[in-house]
Amino acid sequence: MERGEYPGAKNMFGGMMAYCPAPEELVPGFWDQAPWERAVIKRVLSVAGEGSSTSLVFQAHSDSTLRPAGAGSTSDRTLTAFTLFRPFFDRWYAEQAVARGVTLLTSCRADGLVIRDGMVRGIRISGDSVEAPLVIACDGTLSFLAQEAGLHTGFRPDQVALGVRALYHLTEEEINERFGLLGREGATQEFLGCTEGIRGGGFIYTQTETLSVGLVLHLDSIKSRSIPPYELLERFVASSQVASLLRGARLMEYSAHLLPEAGMRVVPKLCAAGLLVAGDAAGFCYTNGLTQEGMNLAMTSGLIAAQAGAAALAEGDFSARKLARYREKLKKSFVLRDLATFSRAIDFLHHDRLFAVYPRVVSALMEDLYRSDGTPKEKIGKLGRRAIKDEVTMRQLLADLFQGGRAFLW
Amino acid sequence: MVVDELFDLVSYRIYPEPHIRLNPDVCQSCTHRVCTFACPARCYIWSEERDRVEFAYEACLECGTCLLLCDRGALDWHYPLGGYGVRFRLT
Repeated sequence: MERGEYPGAKNMFGGMMAYCPAPEELVPGFWDQAPWERAVIKRVLSVAGEGSSTSLVFQAHSDSTLRPAGAGSTSDRTLTAFTLFRPFFDRWYAEQAVARGVTLLTSCRADGLVIRDGMVRGIRISGDSVEAPLVIACDGTLSFLAQEAGLHTGFRPDQVALGVRALYHLTEEEINERFGLLGREGATQEFLGCTEGIRGGGFIYTQTETLSVGLVLHLDSIKSRSIPPYELLERFVASSQVASLLRGARLMEYSAHLLPEAGMRVVPKLCAAGLLVAGDAAGFCYTNGLTQEGMNLAMTSGLIAAQAGAAALAEGDFSARKLARYREKLKKSFVLRDLATFSRAIDFLHHDRLFAVYPRVVSALMEDLYRSDGTPKEKIGKLGRRAIKDEVTMRQLLADLFQGGRAFLW
Repeated sequence: MVVDELFDLVSYRIYPEPHIRLNPDVCQSCTHRVCTFACPARCYIWSEERDRVEFAYEACLECGTCLLLCDRGALDWHYPLGGYGVRFRLT
């Protein structure tokens, strides 16, 4: 059931999804056939201060088997992520399901649940209903269906981020040249310190002939800073570090979407009699500090939900107790395990300092480190102490390092 | 890039009835008017002249920002009827 005219019409994400083995179980050779744009082999994290930025670059070597040679490559993909367009990818994926006997209803909005005798029996659509022994709610961050079933009270602004994204056209050669890529290799670049104090970050993802440029911003932080997201995006696009990559590019599309950011703590109850919740609706989204994952968690949770549903169908029992095996399986899979591993990240990522003060400190330190002005040099520790002076106390810095460490390091 | 260009490039199939309705009385008593700057599609504009929030549902990107940030319960919020509203082409 899809409320858009076609699968993907309503779906928006940053542009990159981590390699996900789950769909290979359903469609053999999935990633050889799926319409992805580029296989990401280069990841850049840039921390931007006022006058300079500092980047960490990861790139798989050209002679490595880690490097996917292109479409049809069978090399190791576990280090790879794919950039793709949801309207193409989702549509193609749905076609695979239809070819295997699935009935797909498009332009069909779920207005609510059909609940009888304490069990979900289907969904209501305009003036009608569709009944089924099991409903899997994949209705996004707002998940009205999970709320109606009492599994969820809805996310609060401090548990959700807004993603805004502009898509720009360039030629394939221009992109390869600007990002140092060959063929269908892709790069991603993420930015910290570009959000004018709003908690969040910026990103650029390479597709074949387009760049996705956008921002992810905590909703409560947008409110407290009172900066319109599109104005921030406009300034991000115009900033020297982004503008140089976008030279001559033509704007093609704009989109926005909410994503759950609160991790483990707000994962709703995942099942009720006749109902399972998957994807963003279940809050399956997290960051390990360097990468953000969501779409792979969504696809995997969808598969596990379907398996739990198939088992329930075989036994003819869709009670909440029976369906609870969905949660048990998720707990054993990377989906809930990763969310648990990085469950402290969200507290750490709610410090405003991380998005303005520390990027400035890093820039100041790196500028001092590389400066050559004919005066005697100092060791990095002393430069560091000077960089944090007036910005943050040593005590605060240590507390933040400890909390950041607990969130991401150990 | 100019902000207006962004909005001009979004494709929609517009339903004749709004899918989100505001309660103007509740909006009138709002002091933060967060919807007027947080909505990524600039659907909510404070009109000094009319002394009220003006809302244009046609440009809605269906993200839900307004729903989560409105702490007055001023919004009767639904997704557009199936097949209507924003249609992302590439994104």
